[in-house]
Amino acid sequence: MKKLKYDVVVVGGRIGGSVSSLFASKNKANVLMIEKMQEIGTPVQCAGGVTDEVFKTLQMKPSDCHVTSRIEGADVYVPDGRRVRVADEKTKGYILERKMFDKHLAIESAKAGTDIMVKTRFKDLIMREGKVCGVVAEYLGETVEVEADLVIAADGVESTLARKAGLNMVKIPEKIFSCAQYEVVGLDVPSNWLKFYFGEQVAPGGYAWIFPKGDKVANVGLGVRGTKETAYTHLKRFVSRVDATPVELNVGGIPVSGPVDKTFADGLLVVGDAAGQVDPLTGGGIRITAVCGRIAGEIAAEAVKTGNASEKFLKRYEDIWKEKIGKNLVMSLKYRKVLDTLTDEDMNRLGKFAEEHDVMSISKISALKFVGKNPHLLRLLKEIL
Amino acid sequence: MKYSAERCGYCGACVSVCQKNAIELRETGISFNLKCENCNACASVCPLGALTFENH
Ligand SMILES: Cc1cc2nc3c(=O)[nH]c(=O)nc-3n(C[C@H](O)[C@H](O)[C@H](O)COP(=O)(O)OP(=O)(O)OC[C@H]3O[C@@H](n4cnc5c(N)ncnc54)[C@H](O)[C@@H]3O)c2cc1C
Ligand code: SF4
Ligand code: SF4
Repeated sequence: MKKLKYDVVVVGGRIGGSVSSLFASKNKANVLMIEKMQEIGTPVQCAGGVTDEVFKTLQMKPSDCHVTSRIEGADVYVPDGRRVRVADEKTKGYILERKMFDKHLAIESAKAGTDIMVKTRFKDLIMREGKVCGVVAEYLGETVEVEADLVIAADGVESTLARKAGLNMVKIPEKIFSCAQYEVVGLDVPSNWLKFYFGEQVAPGGYAWIFPKGDKVANVGLGVRGTKETAYTHLKRFVSRVDATPVELNVGGIPVSGPVDKTFADGLLVVGDAAGQVDPLTGGGIRITAVCGRIAGEIAAEAVKTGNASEKFLKRYEDIWKEKIGKNLVMSLKYRKVLDTLTDEDMNRLGKFAEEHDVMSISKISALKFVGKNPHLLRLLKEIL
Repeated sequence: MKYSAERCGYCGACVSVCQKNAIELRETGISFNLKCENCNACASVCPLGALTFENH
């Protein structure tokens, strides 16, 4: 059996893993990242939509190697087909080629000093007196034991690692977007505009999207909840409306329950989808994972430096990420709850109202007039405000 | 649970909702252990319909 020793072991080699290992290595920790797939970033489980902020967090510039298109705004379609147009500074962003982006992040992390092992699967934790002291992994059928001061779990929605440390990571089925997506060719849509579709027919419990990648290529997908038919069946129906050829099929689950109760333990930090660090309204997790991954990497390096990876010390990871993005997540969770209670009819009414006004600058008076005519929406509005 | 390896897209959605830690996802497929209690949670989130409930 192979035995290794590192300051920090990171499990999972996509956004959460690469960002946390990058910032731990940058801050002088000796880091190993393991990824169970033989190719980092595959199979893709993402539509690749991000806002500009991601690059600021990562201290990186967008590059043609991993960005396919520049996004200016979005069209939201309510069930009756009415369109609400949203565009401001906050909706500006990019569509990422996730495979390339994830690989790029891993390369940056390796350049900063991270050792990486692919096709290496986490199997178990090494625990002593309730403290996480490393991992047991399998590489090509061989067992590898890695001792470490600290482990970072970035193993995505599955999140099996933190469960072994006793944290409650199990997700509730009703709070998982079950997603299917085709990357299609031949779809003539503007390359700078996202499209979202809501309604019981299209995507019950979620929404459908078209994210343009330029040159008539686009990610067309949807997420659903609590449906009899699978996400894939819904996708087939949605895609049959357009004349386009798929070149890739992507599937995945997105936790939209809000973050898990606890994202740290003695010798352990949890980041990304594993920790439920996803916007519960949109299902977007790239930016939040990048923010939290960076904090995790920096705190991990500090823990190594001070020789203190105790639960008490690591709590500051959760304190800091909650301070940075906690409020936004709480707000999004409220919006999610409200959205979940809206019927198609409600959405149509809201769509009609938005169509008659400029959504980016709806005045309080016209909003009040609207809820005056739709009293049952007032109760929902109160929940948000 | 009945599992169709041919339909599976190795996404891990099923693993995320299993209370019993009964599913293991390797690179390109899942396997069940004996802890499965046929609660159907995994099948309900599978995007591809690779899991179906089996009445014993
Ligand atoms: C269909 C779909 C569309 C999406 N679209 C968007 C979008 O447009 N914008 C956005 O912001 N977010 C989007 N998301 C969410 C986003 O993809 C995730 O939030 C993000 O990828 C989370 O990153 P992560 O590193 O935490 O997890 P992941 O990207 O899931 O990475 C986890 C990694 O850990 C590895 N791993 C797991 N178990 C083990 C193990 N035992 N041993 C070793 N390695 C292991 C996996 O192989 C994987 O590589 C989408 C998700 C889906 C499913
Ligand atoms: S049926 Fe329930 S217990 Fe069995 S594998 Fe699926 S989620 Fe786990
Ligand atoms: S949820 Fe379905 S497609 Fe995804 S890994 Fe499980 S069985 Fe395979």
